[in-house]
Amino acid sequence: MPALKAKDALALLRKGGSARAKAEGPAKFAPGDRVAVRNMNPRGHTRAPRYIRCKTGTIDRDHGVFVFPDSHAHGKGSCPQHVYSVRFTARDVWGDDASSRDAIYIDLWDDYLTPV
Amino acid sequence: MNSAHDLGGMDGLGPIDYEMDEPVFHAEWERRIFALTVAMGFYGAWNIDTSRHARERTPAAEYLASSYYEIWLSGLEKLLDETGLLTRAEIDARTTALRAEAR
Repeated sequence: MPALKAKDALALLRKGGSARAKAEGPAKFAPGDRVAVRNMNPRGHTRAPRYIRCKTGTIDRDHGVFVFPDSHAHGKGSCPQHVYSVRFTARDVWGDDASSRDAIYIDLWDDYLTPV
Repeated sequence: MNSAHDLGGMDGLGPIDYEMDEPVFHAEWERRIFALTVAMGFYGAWNIDTSRHARERTPAAEYLASSYYEIWLSGLEKLLDETGLLTRAEIDARTTALRAEAR
């Protein structure tokens, strides 16, 4: 990556650096779809927390296309793909001891998910 | 990576300790580490995802005992050493020299 020039640094600090990608790939999932988080334990970087792996939830919304951190962190390219807000009930995540009224929404990349 | 940064669902860490009117930086060195990390990000030797992973690779016991900007410092030193921009040996030599001057 080329170094940013000093004159451009202030503008970037004010604007912020977005991880949104310009590429438009197809979305594998749509709101309402039931999905399961893959059984994945990568040695490298991931944004899929351990407690959500192998859990089943529902696609709540499609955020659009973003850089994929799992590949980008290791210099393997930005691999742009859709990111979804996925809703999991507390009981689906933590079991019957959890409240029946709670849910958690987690932003997850396409590659983390399989259809149910 | 299944390391200490991924705390969700872990017990025994105690309640979140809210600080009222918390300053953005608790000490001047925190401000400098934040600025150094952002500035080195602009240099282009690594991307933001790589820098997050560097922080995640802080050894678990050290990670859990560290404050937020201590982890940023750990990550920055790791990236500088791995890219050869500033080696661990150079950091240690400079630290030793500064400590000697301070006495």
